[in-house]
Amino acid sequence: MEKVDVIIVGGGLAGLSCAYELADSGMTVLVLERGDFSGSKNVTGGRLYLRPILPYLPDIWKEAPFERHVVKEIFTAMGKHNSTTFEFYSDRFKEEPYPSYTILRAKFDRWFAELVSEKGSFVIPQKTVDDLIKENGKVIGVKSGDEEIGADCVVAADGILSFLSEKAGLRKPFQPKHFALGFKEVIQLDPKTIEDRFRVAEGEGAAQLFFGALTQGMMGGGFLYTNKDSLSLGLVIGLHALNSKATREEVYKLLDRFKERPEIKNIIRGGETVEYSAHLITEGGIYNMPKLYTDGMLMVGDAAGLGLNMLFTVRGMEYAIVSGVLAARTIKEAKAKNDFSASSLAKYEKLLNESFILKEMHTFKNTLAVLENERLFTKYPQVISDLFEKVMWVDENPKEEIYKTKIAELKKQFFNLETLKDWWQFRKI
Amino acid sequence: MEIYVLVKQVPDPEAMIKVKSDTELEIENKYFTSYFDEVAIEAGLKLKEKFGGKVTVLTVDNRRVDALRRGISMGADEALQITDPALEGSDPFAIARTLSAYLKEKSFDLILAGRQAMDDDAGIVGPAVAECLGIPHIHSIIGLEVDDQKKEAKVVREVENGRENLTCPLPALFTCQKGLNTPRIPLVMNVMKAMKAQIKKVDLASLNLKPADVGSQAAQIKVQRYLLPPKRPPVKIIKEDFPENVKTLVKLLREEAKAI
Amino acid sequence: MPNEIWVLAEHQDGKIKKIVFELLSAAIDFSKKTVQEVAALLLGSGLEEAVKSLTPFADKIYLMEDPVFIPYTSDTYLTGIAPLIKEHQPSILLGGATSTGKDLFPRLAMHLQTGYVPDCTGLSFGENGKLVAKRPLFGGKVFAEIVFSEARPQMATVRNNTFLVNDKPDRTAKVISVSAQIAPSIIKKKVTGFEKAAGAKLDITEADIVVAAGRGIKAPENFKIIEDLAETIHASVGTTRATVDEGWRDLKDQIGKSGKNISAKLYMAFGISGAIHHVLGISTCKTVVAVDTDPNALIFNYADYGIVGDLFQIVPALTEELKRVLASE
Repeated sequence: MEKVDVIIVGGGLAGLSCAYELADSGMTVLVLERGDFSGSKNVTGGRLYLRPILPYLPDIWKEAPFERHVVKEIFTAMGKHNSTTFEFYSDRFKEEPYPSYTILRAKFDRWFAELVSEKGSFVIPQKTVDDLIKENGKVIGVKSGDEEIGADCVVAADGILSFLSEKAGLRKPFQPKHFALGFKEVIQLDPKTIEDRFRVAEGEGAAQLFFGALTQGMMGGGFLYTNKDSLSLGLVIGLHALNSKATREEVYKLLDRFKERPEIKNIIRGGETVEYSAHLITEGGIYNMPKLYTDGMLMVGDAAGLGLNMLFTVRGMEYAIVSGVLAARTIKEAKAKNDFSASSLAKYEKLLNESFILKEMHTFKNTLAVLENERLFTKYPQVISDLFEKVMWVDENPKEEIYKTKIAELKKQFFNLETLKDWWQFRKI
Repeated sequence: MEIYVLVKQVPDPEAMIKVKSDTELEIENKYFTSYFDEVAIEAGLKLKEKFGGKVTVLTVDNRRVDALRRGISMGADEALQITDPALEGSDPFAIARTLSAYLKEKSFDLILAGRQAMDDDAGIVGPAVAECLGIPHIHSIIGLEVDDQKKEAKVVREVENGRENLTCPLPALFTCQKGLNTPRIPLVMNVMKAMKAQIKKVDLASLNLKPADVGSQAAQIKVQRYLLPPKRPPVKIIKEDFPENVKTLVKLLREEAKAI
Repeated sequence: MPNEIWVLAEHQDGKIKKIVFELLSAAIDFSKKTVQEVAALLLGSGLEEAVKSLTPFADKIYLMEDPVFIPYTSDTYLTGIAPLIKEHQPSILLGGATSTGKDLFPRLAMHLQTGYVPDCTGLSFGENGKLVAKRPLFGGKVFAEIVFSEARPQMATVRNNTFLVNDKPDRTAKVISVSAQIAPSIIKKKVTGFEKAAGAKLDITEADIVVAAGRGIKAPENFKIIEDLAETIHASVGTTRATVDEGWRDLKDQIGKSGKNISAKLYMAFGISGAIHHVLGISTCKTVVAVDTDPNALIFNYADYGIVGDLFQIVPALTEELKRVLASE
């Protein structure tokens, strides 16, 4: 059996980051990517937060094919026939290094893979890993088709339904409630039009999140991100809700219906859909994490369940990148000792715990429980919008005192046992 | 056996192609080895496995060599890139002249190529190289057996409505059609070795060719204009229920489209 | 404009192929504008019928009668044709984009040091009578208009059904016999046999009507209903990569990027989703009909007429209706 030093299974952000960090270490590193090229099977909404990454991977971002840096954060609560939008802007978003950038994965990952190859790791596309090779319980290699390749360490960067985590016995069976399905369209639109519609300067961008009627009572929400010359528009629906309430077809119709809403229609007007994609997303937080290491193997990125819904934003790509770097550092240390046993690789979890990654995963561990509250997607967004409607609607009837209107409504909707219980829950985030 | 395989790197069939101007195309940066070339490489490798010898892959390309690396990862022994700025704008005939200038100095038993490249689907270079080298050629083969002793090949050629069997003396050139074999998928380790492999470069001067022999100034055929494909009007979906929809379809085909 | 327009008169079993009449008809049209003579180039033996059928379509028939030309090999054809071309200097040489055309023309063009455009889907005359050849690139995503250098003849092979056969051809060809000087030593390749494809109708690249089924046919035996339909309207049966990969149909019937391009007058697709590699193979078909159960199937973007329905219901009914309608004429 041929052997290399490290085999990284999966050429997404976690796998590539690990390979990049290992590239000039003198070790032979193979990244096995099942797609035709890195990025061909990856999807994000979405945007990358750069600042958490910079301390770990400082150098490569000047040439990175980012789309727009985000200077506006927009939140929309959607009722059935109305909506309320909050828009936040800060001059601080314009301070370099910019806090976040929208990205398109096919372009981005592809660029990153080139960088990794140039630096000295080998990114090999169109290769699926079918099995792990174990000896006395230790992972000593992988099997791809009929080919067996040995390695001192295998890095499982094989994404959200990590097959390797199951093969290595590192996780309990997946539960639908820990996942959501995200699906999106990339809608091509002239850059100037984007900048006019979002009222940003050249090269600047916006990120918008939606929740409410658009998901028809199911847990989830919508997103809209501005790219250089396109918009990423999509929905995320909890898998559990999906399985019980809708077929896949109806799910894609949800996006069509969303696009028909005036709030969306007028933003995407004149645009042409050039791409459809879908991907699973982890919603389970730390409850959906496998064990992070075993003899001869480490878990990184989505495969390690590293992704988080923070309600006002979602995290995942930064976790993937930094976990890849930390895995690489752990491997370098293990190589120096020539010890790839679990006790040696445990250093990886220690590094993760010390980093923002696991700290945040713990802080936001109650998100899923909160999100399971149906009223977040039905009653509350409707009530907020209805409240504003009551205040803003002027007709032949004389307007009541605003305070009275508001209090009456608030009393009706919010001062009840149900809502109080919900507030108690929200405190946990 | 000494075997040369002519390969071409072409845009991936999924790559987006845009017409930028009358004479300029914008092609998405996704390239792969033309599938028919892989069939040709596989045919060469099979013969090498049977009779021993050497398989060399060669291409004329100023930029990309991944097709050559693909050949190496599949098992070819050597890879050659003929590259020179003067080659820009070469038509297939110039490419054929260039390849022939290299090959005529070599002794070989067989030259293999794909039956057409998946970008221009022209199928010109193969037979044109055979003409330049004065060797017999057969286009679009789906069966190949070689008698190394007798220096003869038994070939099956795809023709309309059937297959033709031929014998052909070697050296010869065959262009390969899908169905001749199933190209092997390279092993991971071989892909890695191919990524590290040295690709030999050859320029025009070493072929005794002058810039005037190749490139756009020597072109026999030139694109005057690129066009988008003719757009079909939107489909007429026949909305009636069964069986009226069938009757309506027949009526439309007879009276409107005059197709039956 | 002096010189002639030549068309290689390919034949099979003594009969001239339809594409030849299409090209001669086109040549006749061109010749009206450019005052050139139209000539057919016929090589073979036992060609009396063939000559008769060509006579109204050309001003001249250059006839090289010799059994050495049967069956076709590039060795004999090139050796026979090249000196004739050098002598008469035709301005244009056309042929069908057939297995013969694709085998011979590139080599012949290289030999004559002249330009050649393969697999054209259109021909016209540009400025000062120069030929402009139109053809698809990248499987049909883009089309190109191509012009030639000063070298002559300007050579092109053309797809079936690009031109219509003139139903009132008005020429009377003069037969010019040319003796072939083929030394036996130039014949390198020997044809040792020919296997006709099973159930051979016209090859899908040559048929006027092609009916095809894809994955939606669900099982190989279900192709019977497609074959019945084909029988009724004298069509050939094609298919997609899906069924060929399953081993249900032969590669020669595969339509698409790694199969064949067809340019039928009528193409009917049953249970074919319309993946890009397939539809690129049908882009030059005149009329396209699609039947699929999925209203969002991509095939409908490439069709002229469509029915959202079950092919197992539609196809037999279609066959019946066509039988009825055609019988009543």
